[in-house]
Amino acid sequence: MTPALDLVDIRKTFDSFVALDDARFSAYSGEVHALLGENGAGKSSLMNVACGLYTPDAGQMLLYGAEVSLSGPSEASARGIGMVHQHFKLVKPFTVAENILLANPRRNFGKGIREISDEIRKRSDALGFNIDPTRRVGELSVAEQQRTEILKVLVGGARILILDEPTAVLTDQEAETLLTTVRGIAAEGAAIILVTHKLADVKKFADRVTVMRGGKTVATIDPSTKTTDELTELTVGANLPLPARTPGQFGRRRIEVINLRCTRADGHVALEDASFHVRAGEIYGIAGVSGNGQSELAEALMGVRTPESGLIQIEDAGEAVSAASPARMRALGAAFIPADRYSYALAGSLSITENFAVGGVGSGRYGSWSRLRQSAMKRDAEAAIAAFDVQGVRTLSQKAALLSGGNAQKLVIAREFSRSPNVIVAHSPSRGLDARATAAVHSRLMSARESGAAVILISEDLDEVLALSDRIGVMTHGRLVAEFDAPADRQQVGRAMVGHV
Amino acid sequence: MSEDAISTIPVPSAPKRRLRGIRFNLEVRRDISSWWQAAYLAGFIALGIGISAIILIWAGVPAGDLVDQFLVETLTDSDNLRSVLFQGAPFILVGLSASVAFRARFWNLGLEGQMIWGGIGATFISIHHIGPEAFRLPIMIFAAAACAMAWVAIAGQLKLKLAVNEIISTLLMNYVALNFLYHLLYGPWRDATDGFPHSPKYADFERLPDVFGFSGALPLALIVALVIWWLVSFTRFGFYMKFVQASDKVAGAVGIPVARITLISVLLSGALAGIAGFVVASGQEGRLIQNFSDGYLFSGILIAFLSRNNPIVAVIVAMLVSMLFISGQSLQVFYQIPFAMVQLVQAIVVICVAASEFLIRHRIHIVR
Repeated sequence: MTPALDLVDIRKTFDSFVALDDARFSAYSGEVHALLGENGAGKSSLMNVACGLYTPDAGQMLLYGAEVSLSGPSEASARGIGMVHQHFKLVKPFTVAENILLANPRRNFGKGIREISDEIRKRSDALGFNIDPTRRVGELSVAEQQRTEILKVLVGGARILILDEPTAVLTDQEAETLLTTVRGIAAEGAAIILVTHKLADVKKFADRVTVMRGGKTVATIDPSTKTTDELTELTVGANLPLPARTPGQFGRRRIEVINLRCTRADGHVALEDASFHVRAGEIYGIAGVSGNGQSELAEALMGVRTPESGLIQIEDAGEAVSAASPARMRALGAAFIPADRYSYALAGSLSITENFAVGGVGSGRYGSWSRLRQSAMKRDAEAAIAAFDVQGVRTLSQKAALLSGGNAQKLVIAREFSRSPNVIVAHSPSRGLDARATAAVHSRLMSARESGAAVILISEDLDEVLALSDRIGVMTHGRLVAEFDAPADRQQVGRAMVGHV
Repeated sequence: MSEDAISTIPVPSAPKRRLRGIRFNLEVRRDISSWWQAAYLAGFIALGIGISAIILIWAGVPAGDLVDQFLVETLTDSDNLRSVLFQGAPFILVGLSASVAFRARFWNLGLEGQMIWGGIGATFISIHHIGPEAFRLPIMIFAAAACAMAWVAIAGQLKLKLAVNEIISTLLMNYVALNFLYHLLYGPWRDATDGFPHSPKYADFERLPDVFGFSGALPLALIVALVIWWLVSFTRFGFYMKFVQASDKVAGAVGIPVARITLISVLLSGALAGIAGFVVASGQEGRLIQNFSDGYLFSGILIAFLSRNNPIVAVIVAMLVSMLFISGQSLQVFYQIPFAMVQLVQAIVVICVAASEFLIRHRIHIVR
């Protein structure tokens, strides 16, 4: 049987960065084929090649056995390849029918709208989507918008459907419904490609899975033949041993969070009644499925998001602060390792020295306000880069954006730890890092704990939380629903994460 | 797709690739050496000058006279040279003003309004004879800076407190300032001696003195440029500004007081434009006239843009713009070329530099 879509030895580079390194992928009609990998493994790049957004530097693309070279997304969709992007491409003030007409133009607008609306109703009923073509997209829920996107590519005649991280924005039930529907579409003869980093979805819904790592395709297998651990190992590479942990020497409470509540811009309550404390010499892990309020908690702790109510109390602060600025939190001895480095930690267009030194400039370490000592900044940056093993530094004046993820993270840690902080807030500190860099980050957090810092570790990686934490709080739907002392039982923590105990 | 990659793949029935002409593929560059950046920039400025030359020739300037008009005449004729050196001063100041604001990501398009308020502030001091004669000049400069700062502070606060887009607010406030100037010149400040709608003439000690036979405006502007260079390159404030420019989100998260840095930059930008207003009012007619600020907004943006907000480069660019300006005036006299042609040349150069930016950031692959 010829594969519906066959990508052979696809190579794609962006300047010097190799995004795809001879990646291979083939999907057959009638199957749900998962594409699994960490962030930055090349999943989205490969699928962007498949849907005509990227032109590969080398390699071949075959559709039903015939080689094609796509001129762009419109040709891809004309050839029956439809992609539902993670960030929806919908015009919010337009109705569902108008959006779908926009992607699938007809000669006559009025007639087109009528025809498209009929088709939407028909397909929507068949799939159990319950989408009214006359509603405005802006009024739809995220799940409904996603259904609109799927209808859009189906109306366009897609026989190969690529869904990029479709469950990332959905609740568990919505995700379950969606994936079941998608299985149904496959059963009718379409090829479904499910781009994801969620092992559970892969195990449950995929017929085959292709694993990507570092721009290469590592393996294509039947997920039912592998355990979750084996799949994890394929995705992230071999596990490195964790640093040995000593029994905790806990001191006084260093930070206390009381009834913190945050709402998102759309009025949705993202964080409710969050209360916990962390002692000196302790790592407090916050586990949870991504999107359950962790980002809001991290941002509130960093001072970049103003909580609606609640207090953050740092020892020696004298008073509790409800809306702390990052500058104030830092002055009180807090350090931050944010999840999104280039939003909250590093200015990519500035040099390594500048990005390192910005942590110490305010304290007068590099001279008075009127004269900054560049040489002192360089000297410190050089020492820190050596001490924290930041690789890939050609010169200190090179842009921080040129560092790889792991090395950029090490640079952040070097800066944040250079002031011997009392409180450390780390949010997904090893996300997107390779095993070696992850191990380095973990040992830094452990040594901070040893030297008496209070560490808040917010992570969606349960293994990371279990391995490092002295106590674990579990977040579900914006609330801390359970707390466990180390050594915590993995099953119990996992149940709290999904079960809302 | 390279030929080898295809030949090594054993696909028995691979059909021939269709020839569909040339396609271009854009790619974001991760890094580019400063030499290449400079080369692209120089190439595109040359292109802009080339296009401008063609337009000027088409408009009736003999090709052979272009170099003569733009370089030889402007620099050898002593009147012209004096004009170039004077005119450079307000250009330097508005260029610096725009640079400082742009460095804080504040798109100050209110340079002309701030110049007007600078002129009004200085003229107020002159009309009301405030302060002893010996200190009159510094007091006028100070008043010019203070008034312009107060004017730009409105837009700055609107942006910081209410998130009002400064591009709109500063631009529209230019018209408010201009109409207020008309009100003064047609009303209370109308020159009683000749009845024309301009302010009474400044006294001699209220005008910038000549230095070595040339206007003192240029040394003043050069000193200001040095101070700004020091501020943005060597101080903590300048260091923080770099982060605000690179990413205000990152800057805030690493503990930089973004709002304060932005506000100070905005005020400084306003002050510089205000001083430019005073320099024009004092150096040209020695009084406030209507429309004295015309065209400086565009020139200021052009200078900041071409110098990439670098104060030292801004001085050089400002002097070149000044040459263009003065030679444009003589083109007007000798060839009846409208003065708008000077602005056209500026605009072409800006468009070319903007285009070079695209090539500096992207690489174009030709895909066959």
